[in-house]
Order: sequence, then structure tokens, then C-alpha cells
Amino acid sequence: MSPVLETRDLSRRFGGVDAVAGVSMAVEEGTVLGIIGPNGAGKSTLINLITGHVKPSHGQVLVDGRDVTGRKPWAIAKERVARTFQIVKPFRNLTVRENVAIGAMYGPERAGSAREAIAQAEEALERVGLGERAELAPGELSVADARRLELAKALAMRPRVLLLDEVMAGLRPDEIEPSLALIRSLRDDGVTILVVEHVMRAIMAVSDEVLVMHEGRELTRGAPEAVVKDERVIEAYLGERYARRARGEDADPDGGREPEGGDAAG
Amino acid sequence: MNVTAKERPGAAVGPRVGGGLGGRAWIWAALIALGLVILVLAPTYLLLESEQRTLASVFMFVVLAQGWNLIGGFAGYPSFGNVVFFGLGGYTTAVLMAKAGANFWLTVPAAAVVGLGFAALMGIPILRLKGHYFAIATLGVAEGMREVVINVGGLTGGNKGITVPAVGSEATTSYPGNTGFYFYFLALAVLSIVVVWAVSRSRFGYALRAISQDEDAAAAAGINTTRAKIAAFALSGMLTALAGAIYAFQQVTIYPERLFSVDITVLMVVMCVLGGAGTVLGPVIGGVLLQYLSEWLRDNFTDYHTFVFGAIIVIAVLVLPMGIVNFARDSWKGRRIAPFEAVRQYRL
Amino acid sequence: MSEFLQATVYGLLEGGLLALVAIGFSLVWGVMNIVNLAHGAFVITGAYIAWKLNTELGLDPYLGMFVSAAALFLAGYVVQRFLINNVVNAPIWMTLLLTFGLDLLIVQGLQLLFTADFRSIHTGWGSDGLAIGDVRVPYGRLAGFGLAVAVTLALVWFMTRTRTGLAVRTTGMDRAAARLMGVNVRHVYALTFGLSAALAAMAGAILGSINTFSPSAAGGFTLQSFVIAVLGGLGNMWGALAGGILLGLVQAWGGQYLSGTLVNAIAFGVLVLVLIVRPAGLLGRPYYEARAEA
Repeated sequence: MSPVLETRDLSRRFGGVDAVAGVSMAVEEGTVLGIIGPNGAGKSTLINLITGHVKPSHGQVLVDGRDVTGRKPWAIAKERVARTFQIVKPFRNLTVRENVAIGAMYGPERAGSAREAIAQAEEALERVGLGERAELAPGELSVADARRLELAKALAMRPRVLLLDEVMAGLRPDEIEPSLALIRSLRDDGVTILVVEHVMRAIMAVSDEVLVMHEGRELTRGAPEAVVKDERVIEAYLGERYARRARGEDADPDGGREPEGGDAAG
Repeated sequence: MNVTAKERPGAAVGPRVGGGLGGRAWIWAALIALGLVILVLAPTYLLLESEQRTLASVFMFVVLAQGWNLIGGFAGYPSFGNVVFFGLGGYTTAVLMAKAGANFWLTVPAAAVVGLGFAALMGIPILRLKGHYFAIATLGVAEGMREVVINVGGLTGGNKGITVPAVGSEATTSYPGNTGFYFYFLALAVLSIVVVWAVSRSRFGYALRAISQDEDAAAAAGINTTRAKIAAFALSGMLTALAGAIYAFQQVTIYPERLFSVDITVLMVVMCVLGGAGTVLGPVIGGVLLQYLSEWLRDNFTDYHTFVFGAIIVIAVLVLPMGIVNFARDSWKGRRIAPFEAVRQYRL
Repeated sequence: MSEFLQATVYGLLEGGLLALVAIGFSLVWGVMNIVNLAHGAFVITGAYIAWKLNTELGLDPYLGMFVSAAALFLAGYVVQRFLINNVVNAPIWMTLLLTFGLDLLIVQGLQLLFTADFRSIHTGWGSDGLAIGDVRVPYGRLAGFGLAVAVTLALVWFMTRTRTGLAVRTTGMDRAAARLMGVNVRHVYALTFGLSAALAAMAGAILGSINTFSPSAAGGFTLQSFVIAVLGGLGNMWGALAGGILLGLVQAWGGQYLSGTLVNAIAFGVLVLVLIVRPAGLLGRPYYEARAEA
């Protein structure tokens, strides 16, 4: 059986820069794939390539073995692939409920009428916990709620594949747990999920496998625990000094100074 | 649960969700029916010929403003060249009547097709542009089309204009007179309002509103943004062309300068925006108010009227940027908005 | 042949002046994403100020232009700071309508003050010129062209080498970021708009000495500014110069061989074509935001 989502040698050049270079990967249905990598690694561009918001310079995207490379975003949506945006994009002139209803109206299972879709939106709203705030304008939501709205919009499309672009960014620790629980429950329902994240705790907690990107390429892929100890990953995030330390060559990479941030090593 | 019966979003920017009738639907329906009855009976019992003429032009501008509302208000693509459809519709009617001896009623569907078709054709390349680029491109097309019409003198009469055979033995259709045109334009205005109302409640309307807010997110949600935009533009073009067709017949002789005048575009934009872009009633209110205002200014300030008009536009934009309908709606809900307060959400 | 050369020279020189007219418009559009429909009105106002100074005090327009520029700088600053800044975040038809209303106000105001009669500014030396073979090069137009090039150079220097210029550019790239770095965005916007108005007025003063003008000429200048800005790429100073010269040449040649109105149609056709094919303009960098879809 073919993987539900696959990319083959997917690449995108912008001017002189390879934002994504030759990424080939396959995702089995009903699994959660975490995608991590330093800033600029090409994670969001990869998502954009899959969803049709950016045209690839080279390579293919396949859904269920069908070639959907270069198709427009709405065609990809019809393939039951939904996504959230890193910087949330709510429709500010509509209520929260109407925002979610758009997904139901135009998603793969088109609701019969606007009214029906608005009713269907309830389901997605309850799932993410926005039921009480359905009448508000998106501008009145907190950061966490805005992220929930983004997710609800995608869920209203009843996707088979869900691409989450940094849904945890800006959330407090107590807000992250419910999001993780939601992702797990979606996975249990059979949804295939790609989670692009910087929050390592989230990736570790929820991924079946982790893909590490660096400078547009795949650096490595494997089980979360293994990837996080991989010295190439550490080097990509923190630089060579810490990689040497990981290999045991250098006891104090900073020579007494305070290390800079980054919690890639956990 | 009827969403529309409850509170509307407050600080939402841009076109609001309109068309909600809520539990008071019966009251609205009754009011509308009453209004229509009055309008239909008015010429016979209430109005002078000159007043009928004024109202006819009010109705015409309501159509133009509603047409713009679809592409500019709902879809958020501010066309500054919609007059091109007006001119094309008008010239279709005039040329068919004058050169082919057609009956006016035959030219009406022809004008509609021309408006719809040209908008769709033009939309394919031009709706890929955004914001100001789209605005100027449409302006460029309108201005260019005027020049083309002028230069195809053999067909259109060029700068000398073209005359529709309306009187005497050559007339292909009997001339309806002021009252007749009052009703033609009224019918078209009602049609345009119904069309916009239907769109605002439909999935298509939601798609347009989504596109106007965030086209990427709309596309990700499954909306075929290209098709939706072209459809809105085509609908807009069709309504505008129909107005032009009736106008051409009414004026008998038409000139390219007038039929493709950028002033008409600006008027329809101002009317729609000041009334409330993206709402159903906005263009109606804007059209009525501004047309009467414009006539009143012309009568009372003959020398200054354009100057005052300019001042009014400036003040209105600063005081009521969201349009009258949205302002009224927010005030009704007790959200007291002081005059210049309204503009604060847009301030730098 | 000499007719063609003459037309070319006129087109070139006029083009330089058109560039001066358009450079401020392009700057405001590129940096602030504001299309100023009253731009042509600023040009004409500059012309009238210089004309008034010329008729009352006998001031040469090349001196009067500084007064025009100063006056319009102030006016532009005020307009931006207190009027346009209010609708910067609104749907774009707001600024279009606002500037359209201003245009009406200014043009009508000028008409009320000065009537619709055509005026021109007399210089003693403007109509004298050199002769290169059969081709006449009037001093007035030559000076205007020189001024345009000088101004473009000065503007480029200002934008790249001064702190204020840098502030303008960064505000154009990312308003929020600029603000966070301490740039007073309201002030920078007002400054930019004032500068744009000043340059327009300066161009107007010079143009007034070369051609006749009246309030109704304002619209034409706005339209030409559009074309030049699009051709040259928004906010691109050299692009405005190149675009202006190109437009000047095209208009001059077109006027030689084609009927007046067809030239306009062609200009619009070119404009629309450029917008569709390469909205960045002939010299601009690809401007991704111009397109709706990726």
C-alpha cells in the first residue's frame, strides 16, 4: 500500500538560494511525523510546496500515490490535505464559527449550503475547545485561541492529512498539553499528521518519527529519542562545539562562558 | 441556531458579514414590499417628470454601486475601471440599434453577454494582480477602451458620438420617456440588490469574503480563488453593462467621453464605500445620498460644487471609513463610536 | 530624419522632467504603498506658485522652484501626518478615495483662484538654445533635464547615505520592525510624502516655464506618474529616471507619427501589459506582493 503522503526529490530555488533541496520522504497513514530544524532550514517552504502555495522547482508530491505536484492549493485541499499557517490567517471579517465553516463549505465534503456548513462547524469548534467563543471576531481571541481557530478551520475539512506549521509557538506550557492531547486524539482517529515545530517537548511527546531538516535538505530521520542524540542534529542547532562535546571530545565547549540558548539537546 | 440573529463581530476590519435578517425577517420583508409599492406607484401619483428623471439616475447609480460592491466590496479587489462595462454595454446597445436596426430589447441580453464576457476575459490576466496594481490595470483597460472606441469611428461614430434611432419612422423601439426609464432602472436596481443579497447569503459570498481577507488561507480551505474572483467580476460586469445599455437608449446620443468617464467609476466607488462596501444596503444608501447630494450641490453651489464634493469625500473618508451601514449597525448595538474614533482602527 | 532627431531630443529632455514629476510618486508608492491621486495637483500647484512669484516679483522659475518645493513640502507633511496617516491601515480604496478627494479640492481650488486660463512662466533665456546640426536644444529644457538628473542623484545619495534616508527605506521594508527599532514611523511617512510633494512642485515650476498649464493638466501628470512608476519599479529612483525618459521618448515619437489619441491608447496598453507580465517594472526587482497567487 502506498504511503498516504510522499515527496520525491522535492526542491525549490529562490534566486540563488535552495530553500528546499531534494527532499524525499514518505509518510504512512495514521502516523505523526515531526519535522524539526534550525530556522531557515526550509520547513515552512516544504509545507508550502506540499500544499501548492509555492510551486516546486523540481520533484514531485504524491498523495496516495497520485501525483499532485504543482496543483493549486484548493486542488490539494480536495485531496483531503489540510494545513495551518505559521502566522495565523483568520478571516477577520467573519465570526469564529464562520471562519471554521469555510472549511466545511469548500472542503472535500462540501456541505449542501452555507447554513449547513455553519452547523457542521460546531463539531470542529467543540473538538478544539472554542465552542463558547464561536460568536467572537478573530481579533478578540487570545494567542492560544487563535491557534485553536487555525486548527479548527483545518479540521472542518475532515482531512486525512494534516500539516501543522508551528502550532505551539507562543503557547504557555499549560496550553501546550491540551494541544498535544488533541494531536494524539486526531492520530487515533486515523489522521496522518505532519508537525513542524520548534518546541522540542512537543515533538518528542507526540511524534512517531522525526525528520530533521538543515539548509533545505534532510539531515536525518528516525525515532525521536535517536534523532535528538544524533550529533549531526546537535551540530546543526548548536554548532560544532556542542557536537564535539556530544562526542566526548571537549568537556567545556564554551571555555567558561555562558552558553547561548537553544534546547535541541532536550 | 441562527447565527445571524446574534451579535455581529465588533472590531472586524473591512466588509462585514451582511444580509442577516434574523428573527425580524418579517418586518424587513414587509418594509421592502411597502417600499416597492410606493416606488411603483410614485410616478403616477407623486412625482414630477423631472423628479422621475432624478430618481432614474439614482437607480442607475445604485446598480453601478452594487456592481462594484461584488468585486470591490465582497472580493476586495478595488476595480477602478468598472466604467468600461458601462461603456461597452451602452455601445453594444447603441451600435446594434443604430447600425443593425435592432429592437432595444434584443440588445439588452447582448449587452449583458458583452459585459459578462469581457469581464471574464479581462479578469483572467488582471485578477492575478493585487491591490493598487489591480486598480491601475483596470483603470488602464477602461481608458484604453475609450481610446479604442474613439478610433473605431466607422462603427461607433468616434468622438462625434452615436445616435440611437429613437423617434420617428426609423425608431425600432418606441421611446419610453421619463416614466418608462424610471421603471427600467428601478427594475434593474431591484435586480442588482437581489443579486447581491443572494450572493451575501450564499457559499459564494463567503468565499469572496474569505478571499478579500486572506487569499492564501481561502485557497488552503478549498476555495478555487481564480474561479470565484472571475465569477464576481463577470457578475459585476454584467450588471454594469445592463445599466449602460439602458442609459444609452435613454440618452439617445452617446459619446465615448461620457460612457467611459473615470468620474463615473469614482462615483460608484464612493457611493459603495461610503454606504458600506460588502453590505447589501450600503450601495443603495450611498447611491441615493450621493446622487441627491451631487444634484443639490450642482443647483446651489454651481461654481463650487466640485470643490465641495471633494471636501465631502475627504471628510467622509476620515469620519466614516467603514461606511454608513456598518456605522449604524455598531451604533445600534450600543457601541458608541465618536466620529473620528471610527478611523482609529485604521490609523498608522 | 532631422524631424526624428528633433523629436528624440525633445522626448529625452521632456522625459527627464517627467521623471522628476514621477520620482516622488514612485517613492511614496514604493515605501508607503500609497497611491497619491493628488500628485498631479501638487505639480500644478508648484507651477502656480512659481508663476505667481514670476508675475509679481519677476522671479526666475529656477529660483521660484525652491519656494514651490518648500511650500509643498510643508503642505505634504501636514496632509500625510494628519490626514492620510489615518487611513493607512484601511482597505486600499480608502487612501485612493482620500487622495482623490484632495485632488478635487486642490484642482478646483486652483481653478477658483486662478481661473481655467492657460498660463505660462516667462524666462528670458529659456527659449534660447544651442543648435546641434539641424536639431535645436532649448536651454530651458536642457536645464530641466539637468535638474532631473541632479535631483535623482541627490535622492539616491539621501536614501543610501543619510540616517533619515535609511529610516525611510527601512520603514518601507517593514513598518513594524522599523518602529520597534525606534523609528518614528508617522514622522517618516510624513517626511517622505512631503519630499514627494516638494519634488513634484519643483518639477511643476520648471514645466510651467516650458509648457503652458492650467488646473486641468493635473490629471495628466498623475497618469504619467503611474506609468513611469510602474515601468521603473516602485520606489526605484533610477527606475523613475529611466521610465520617465522612456515615456518621454515614446510620447515624442508617437506624437510624430500617430494621431494623439492612439498614442494614449498605446501608452495604456503598454502599462497594462507591463503590469501583467512584469509588475516589478523593467528595472524593478520581482515584487512578489504584486501577484495574488504564488
